[in-house]
Amino acid sequence: MPDAGSVSGTGMRVRLPGLAALSGSGSLLAGIVLALLVLFLCFLVPLAWRADPYALNPLSPLSHPSRAFPLGTDELGRDNLARVMDAGRATLLVALPAAAVTFLAGLLYGLASGLGPRLLDAAMMRLLDAVLALPGLVVLIFFAAILRLSTPSLILLLGLISWPPLARLVRNETRAVRDRDFVQAAYQMGGGFFHVVTTHLLRVMAPVLAVNFTFLVGEMILLLSALSFLGLGVQPPQTSWGGLLEGALQLVALDPWWLVLPPGLLIFASLLSASLIGQGLLARQGRA
Amino acid sequence: MTDTVLQLQALSVSLPAHGGGRLVPVLDALDLQVRAGGMTALVGESGSGKTVAALAAMRLLPRGARTSGQVRFDGLDLLAQDERRMRRLRGRIGMVFQNPLSALNPSATVGAQVAEGYRLHENGSRAQARRRAVELLGEVGIPDPARRLDDYPHQFSGGQRQRVMIAAALACDPRVLIADEPTTGLDPLVARQILALLRRLQQSHRLGVLFITHDLSIVEAHADRLTVLYAGRAVEWGGAGRFFAAPRHPYSQALLAAVPRLGQAALQGIPGRLPDPLLLPPGCRFAPRCPHHRPPCDDGYPPALGDAVEAACCLFPLAPPVPARNMNVVHAPPAGAAARQDDAALLALERVTVRHPVIGARRRTAPALQEVSLTLHRGECLGIVGESGSGKSTLGRAILHMLRHDGRILLDGQPVADLPGPERRRARRRIQPVFQDPRESLNPRLRIGDALAEPLRLGGLFDRARLDREVAALLAKVGLDPSLAGRWPGQVSGGQAQRVAVARALAARPEIVVLDEPTSALDVSTQAMLLTLLRDLARSEHVAYVMISHDLAAVSWLADRIAVLKDGRVVEAADTATLLAHPRHAYSAALVATAPRVQDGAGQVAAGPVRLPSPPA
Repeated sequence: MPDAGSVSGTGMRVRLPGLAALSGSGSLLAGIVLALLVLFLCFLVPLAWRADPYALNPLSPLSHPSRAFPLGTDELGRDNLARVMDAGRATLLVALPAAAVTFLAGLLYGLASGLGPRLLDAAMMRLLDAVLALPGLVVLIFFAAILRLSTPSLILLLGLISWPPLARLVRNETRAVRDRDFVQAAYQMGGGFFHVVTTHLLRVMAPVLAVNFTFLVGEMILLLSALSFLGLGVQPPQTSWGGLLEGALQLVALDPWWLVLPPGLLIFASLLSASLIGQGLLARQGRA
Repeated sequence: MTDTVLQLQALSVSLPAHGGGRLVPVLDALDLQVRAGGMTALVGESGSGKTVAALAAMRLLPRGARTSGQVRFDGLDLLAQDERRMRRLRGRIGMVFQNPLSALNPSATVGAQVAEGYRLHENGSRAQARRRAVELLGEVGIPDPARRLDDYPHQFSGGQRQRVMIAAALACDPRVLIADEPTTGLDPLVARQILALLRRLQQSHRLGVLFITHDLSIVEAHADRLTVLYAGRAVEWGGAGRFFAAPRHPYSQALLAAVPRLGQAALQGIPGRLPDPLLLPPGCRFAPRCPHHRPPCDDGYPPALGDAVEAACCLFPLAPPVPARNMNVVHAPPAGAAARQDDAALLALERVTVRHPVIGARRRTAPALQEVSLTLHRGECLGIVGESGSGKSTLGRAILHMLRHDGRILLDGQPVADLPGPERRRARRRIQPVFQDPRESLNPRLRIGDALAEPLRLGGLFDRARLDREVAALLAKVGLDPSLAGRWPGQVSGGQAQRVAVARALAARPEIVVLDEPTSALDVSTQAMLLTLLRDLARSEHVAYVMISHDLAAVSWLADRIAVLKDGRVVEAADTATLLAHPRHAYSAALVATAPRVQDGAGQVAAGPVRLPSPPA
């Protein structure tokens, strides 16, 4: 008879000690740091670096980075660092409110659909499908081409085409939560509609909502950059990161890397930070 | 013993802790034998390690688990086999899981799933596999198996699905069947049928059955051997007859006393909770909860129990003659049933009918509730029993006015549905629910204190200090520590969460509490304490209960009157004592006959063969 042996499970998995931390609070921290860096550059550095983003320096067009122009100049000799920071402000001041508008629209639409009677829900979901079927970017281009877009209308327009996915998510979450026993109990103890929404639905959905808001911010930055790249976003003379990239593309034959890299990296950094924060929140939620 | 087909020897298992790399011991040196043609029951509450034992025997534990000891099957140590041989051997050991709906693939036909094992292990042709599947389904008592072969799992009832699972487990002529809580979640009558089926197979195939359950009463009539697990360690093992007549370990005894039985005067719960597996007590693991605890218990276990055929892992096993239990099946009048019938009904249901709307379909469906008329008096407890699908939960929700219904529901003579808005809200507050699943009934993102404050706030109390006082008083009322107010629902046990749910229901100062299967998601020991609490609260709070359950014994323990529901109709309503002594309807009689009852002596078992008035579900 063989001795009572010791057998481990069918396989071994290598465990990297740092990986677990990085996937949770680590990525949240990294995302927040990155976001602060971007915000710092766009909103605080301009207080120290007071170069005018619109001032032309005809004597030094397309100059390489130097002490006078840390990020070089563009083809009209404008200070590129000042331009990047100014474009960042323009980008974020459109993208963040647009994300907020989208978020609110999606939340309210989703709640109404999820809590409403079945017929209303069906109608609202079909309408949502219709909006979702429209190619968002094409609609944006259409409006941008026929209207002169002010910043508020740009914000509204971005929100208008981006709310459906969130609305559907909120509606489905609402449907899943609204028949749960604790919601029934809340109605039974005399709670009204408003009470149930604030005390129960929003609380239960809070983590999902937070995660989706961060993703929305990233999405808005990307959408605005794409729009600006097509020349339809923030209107000249103001520009955005996407606009800067588009401008640099015109001169690509001259290889102006100092014009391409900074806006490109900043778009990348803001998307990455939004994504990291979202992932971090998701991981925390999974642990809780 | 030569006819032992499956033997666990000193089987220990540790599982990696969630997230971290630490190993948590979950099973400690379990010895157990299953004989051919015999049934060994492995009994334990949740967290005792019983499912882990089954998975370890099948080598199906998650990665990273550490196992030691031996699992001997057919002369082989299963733990020493390589994965390829193990896969072949698994066909010889059938496994039946608790929830057949998740164990069966919803998108494959039942026939294909029953034959899956056969095709994998015996390499039969498609036609052979089909024939085998028909044969197997017939064997487990599925009527007209050839026709049902191409049906999908959702077209079968819960009991039938479990039969299908058993058929699939039998596909390769196993010598051992491991059944992990196969009857949990089934109605008591259906559960008995499944057990009778297992017993028949066990005899006709000389099949050894390892039956894993938390429910002592269900194995009472069928197991020949029994092992009780507590916190990963076997505390008592031996022949079932001896065990039920005279349990020796205090935990076994407490577990037996905690099962509600017809005719029982007092239920005895087990206070406390399972020890944390990382902080096990140094001596007996049950010592912190043991009523017979003495100092040496903290030092160790009795020596040399390892190969004893019958033993209790206890330094001070209880003497064989068990303290006399209630000998006569007499219904103890609960709560104080007397002198309530004279005043007017607090709640009256008049020909209440509920039809569930069917989405999309035009066809008429049978109403979930048909012309139910019932009354409830102040301070009374009305029990509603019935199988799943009988409409008992629908009835509960109709009383709570959560459903649209025909007929009238009168509260103090007033039809609640006809009241204007604000008054209807006030009326609804007078009826409060306690739901089955305590996890579902508490908002996971609301601290317990806030959950209890919610009904108080809605009642118009906003002063922080007074709220805190009231919450503490509520927690104390249900026997919980006021410090629990700061915890999240996920941080308390199921039993504690259910007490919180009871406290929340009471916070609205209701006159009626609708208890919908309040104990069925709880462990036996916790269940007994909750029932006792409910009975005490009925007295101190002067509330009337509507208690809905499929467990007649539990209901009869609490209820003054019982209504038996079948197919949406009340088939019988009577005083508890009358119903238990002289059930008039055949269905009530079957329920009464199968409910566990207080035994009148050693080894004699009350539950006889089951005869159902209707074709088996």
